[in-house]
This record gives sequence, C-alpha cells and structure tokens, in this order.
Amino acid sequence: MREGRQTSNAFVLLIAALAAAGCAGTLKPGDPVRGLTRAQRDSFAQGQALFVRVFTPETGLGPLFNAVGCGECHEEPVAGGFGDEVEQHAAAFRADQVCDPLVEQGGFVIQAHATPALKAALGIDSEPVPADATATARRTTPVVFGRGFLDLVPDAEILSRADPDDRNHDGISGRPNRFVDGRLGRFGRKALVPTLREFNEGAYIAEQGITTPGVPTEETIGGKPIPDGVDPVPEPEINRGAVDLTNAFVRFLAVPSPLKLSGEAGRGRDQFERIGCTACHIPTLRTGDSPIAALNHKEVAAFSDLLLHDMGPELADICLGLAQPSEFRTEPLIGVRLRKDFLHDGRATTLPQAIQLHGGEGAASRDRFQRLTPAEQVAVIAYLKTL
Amino acid sequence: MHLKTAALLLPLLATSAHSPQAQARSGLQEPATYTYQGTVHAVRTDSSSIDLITGVGFALRMVHMNIVPDTKFEAPNGKLALNDLKPGDVLRAECHRTDKGLVADRIRKIVPEGSPGAGAP
Repeated sequence: MREGRQTSNAFVLLIAALAAAGCAGTLKPGDPVRGLTRAQRDSFAQGQALFVRVFTPETGLGPLFNAVGCGECHEEPVAGGFGDEVEQHAAAFRADQVCDPLVEQGGFVIQAHATPALKAALGIDSEPVPADATATARRTTPVVFGRGFLDLVPDAEILSRADPDDRNHDGISGRPNRFVDGRLGRFGRKALVPTLREFNEGAYIAEQGITTPGVPTEETIGGKPIPDGVDPVPEPEINRGAVDLTNAFVRFLAVPSPLKLSGEAGRGRDQFERIGCTACHIPTLRTGDSPIAALNHKEVAAFSDLLLHDMGPELADICLGLAQPSEFRTEPLIGVRLRKDFLHDGRATTLPQAIQLHGGEGAASRDRFQRLTPAEQVAVIAYLKTL
Repeated sequence: MHLKTAALLLPLLATSAHSPQAQARSGLQEPATYTYQGTVHAVRTDSSSIDLITGVGFALRMVHMNIVPDTKFEAPNGKLALNDLKPGDVLRAECHRTDKGLVADRIRKIVPEGSPGAGAP
C-alpha cells in the first residue's frame, strides 16, 4: 500500500514536471512553445496581457485605428487566433510597374475608425481611401501561431525555393518579396515585412495608432497632419519594454498540435501531396540559429514556402513592395482548421471553395483536385481540418 | 502628439547604430547624422531632392532629403548621379539636418542579394 502511494506520488510529480517543462500532451491554440525557460514563460504571460490590452484615446489609441488592441482582431478561439474584422489596404500600381504604397496619402493601411476627438475636428469616421489608389484590398486577420518559428527560417532556405523564371517547368515559380529597404520579406499576405519584431511594432501604430520607440510618429490623416488637440498622449505612447513583451508573446505562441489523423485524413494527406499542393504549401520548414533554445534549429509545420506566387487575375488586388497585384505569399496553413473564412480577403467560406478559387500557379493543383473522386476530395478536406 | 517632420522619423531599426542617439552617446560634437535605407519614391532633379520610403512593418513613412553639390553617390558599379536614380531603387542615405531640412551627405545604391543586378561589379 505504502509502495503504491509512493509510486502514485512519483507519477504525479513526473506529470507536474513534464507539464512545467511544457512537454506534456498536445499543444492547444494559444499555448506557448515547448521548452521555454521560466523567464521566457513569464515574458509570454506578461506579453499576453499586453496583447489583449484595450487602449483608449487617453492611453494612446488613434487618432486613426483599426482596433483597440491586438486581441480585438486576433481573438478566436484564443488570443493570437483569427477574427472577423476585415481591414482595407490601398496602393497604386504605376505604369512603370513600380508599386506606390501611397504613403503621402495615408496608405497603404487605411484605418477604419477615428477617435471622437478626430471626428469632432474633421468630421470623419475613418481614413479616406487615397485618390490615387489603383486598387484596394480586403485583409482578414491571420492567426499568429508559430510565427516565431517562421521568423527564424533562414533567408537562404526561403530563397533556395525561389524559381522566378520557372526553370524547372513545373508551372510554379515563387518569387521573394523585399521590404522597402531591400531585405527579404516574409510576413503579411504579400510577404512584405522581414521580421516578426518589425511586423508587431509596425502593427501597433498602423492598426491601433499607438506610437512606439521604433515608430514615434503618428499615422497621417490621408497624408495630412493630425489637427491640434486630438492626440493628447506624448510619444511614444508605449515603451520599449511593452513592445518587447508583446513580441515575446507572439514569438512564443506554439503551432497547435495537429489533430489525430483518421484513415480518411491520412489518405487526404497523400492526395494533398499527389495533386501538387505541397509544391507551395511546403509541409515543414526548419529554423536556423537562435539564442532561444526552444526555437533553435526546429522543424515547423508551416505549409508555406514564404514566397510570392501568381494566383491569377480573379484574386488580384493591390501591389505591395515587389509583389504585383496577383501575387500573394503562400498562406501558412498553421491552424487552418480553426478558421471560418479563407484566402487573404475571406471570400471563401469553406476549404473546397478556397481551393476552387486558386488560379494562376495554383490552377493546375486546383484542376487536379477537381478531377479527384468525391471521396478523395473529402479526404483532402479532412486532412486540412487536422492542421 | 502631432505629425513630425520627416527628419524626425526614426532611422531604420537595421541602421540604428548610425542613429543620432547612438552618436550622442558617443559624446562626439559632430552634427548628428541620420541614416535611412529605403525605396526611392520620387527623384526631383529640378529641386535636387529625393523622397525615400522607409518604415517599420506596415507603418511606412516618407523621408524628404535635399541633394547638394557635396553629396557623394555610390553604386555597386562605382558610378551614380542623381538623375540615374528612379522610383523603386533602394538606397542607403546618410544625412544631416539643417534649418532647411535633411541634407544627404552620402547616398549608396543597394542591390539586394538575389535580385537582378546583384553581384554586378
């Protein structure tokens, strides 16, 4: 009896130790990656509180904004997930094939809301769409699970898959996008932004109107200065520590564990590869060097090559950086089972619809999907619903 | 609080070692230099100036800088002038501030690795 109790106690201690080390069970949406240190887990928790913080004009919100906090959009099923908000981007694709993000007219992110003070001063509820825009775009909220891993995929690994001239004649090209300073981009639906840190810091100002030490100037109002008296909080409106903790939360968000494969889903996985989806939706990428052991040289089930692909004229909207209107980064399928809408603008409400809407470089795989038997198509969808 | 002039925009994170703050910490008495790396938006040969798009993530900003006879131009092939520049080119610009705005001291054209023209002599 006594021996049995000792065994039971030891088992409980083992489970507790494994849980503390983040090694037990599956990773649910919103869980931190496994193997973080205590200090990193503390940063994750503190960053989560900042991620869901609700800002007001008195704490820096606006005067133009899309959301009152990161968590307003990235909310389903947990902080870091997707949301039902759709925002608007605008740009001009010039005759010389250069993309103008219309910075002088308030682009390319067009904020949907104005604070009461700005509304009182200018009588506007949102930022006006730039007059010179040749296109506008709708953008849904992506999940940000696993983005810390994507941040660490070496540039060389991404560039190794680029085939802009389709020299292997497989119908898939893949082009890198570049940020305005020439660095390789990887974040955002057009792969504009090089690093997770910059993506998050830029989002504070572009989405919430919160200035940071890295971006200490407010957005303009369609290119015009903010009227006096509508933004009473001195810049920067949050400090470096808050930005760093927010980064820590996003960086340490794990890729949710895939659901157990049924026999049908297993067959769907095989079909997913056979019809060519994995030419762009690369199942796994590998991180490079990182001082964070939990992210250092790890495989991540990204289902993306982080490159731009021509998706055909039906999906085309704005240009951005080197990305032409019809080019989009291969969407990582991390957590795709959690979504209620699909594609960059949410126009598809089911996974089969999303596949049907693939054009351009995705057309051949789409056609192969359409030629599958109904049972085989169902299997592919069953597989995707495990991711 | 209010929109700042372009000169007050943060120099790119990637070039923060060249920021005015970094130089101020060093205790040097030279005028502060501002380093920006971005994409050319407009080249105005009539007024000798450049508009450069810089930024952090989705928060893009425009930096206006004046070109003077002393401005040095560099390119991978060694030769570059203001009227060689065009929208879409990527530049690294070292500037100082005057009462008439930013003045470029040195402008270097960047050819990103893997892009057409990379590796040119």
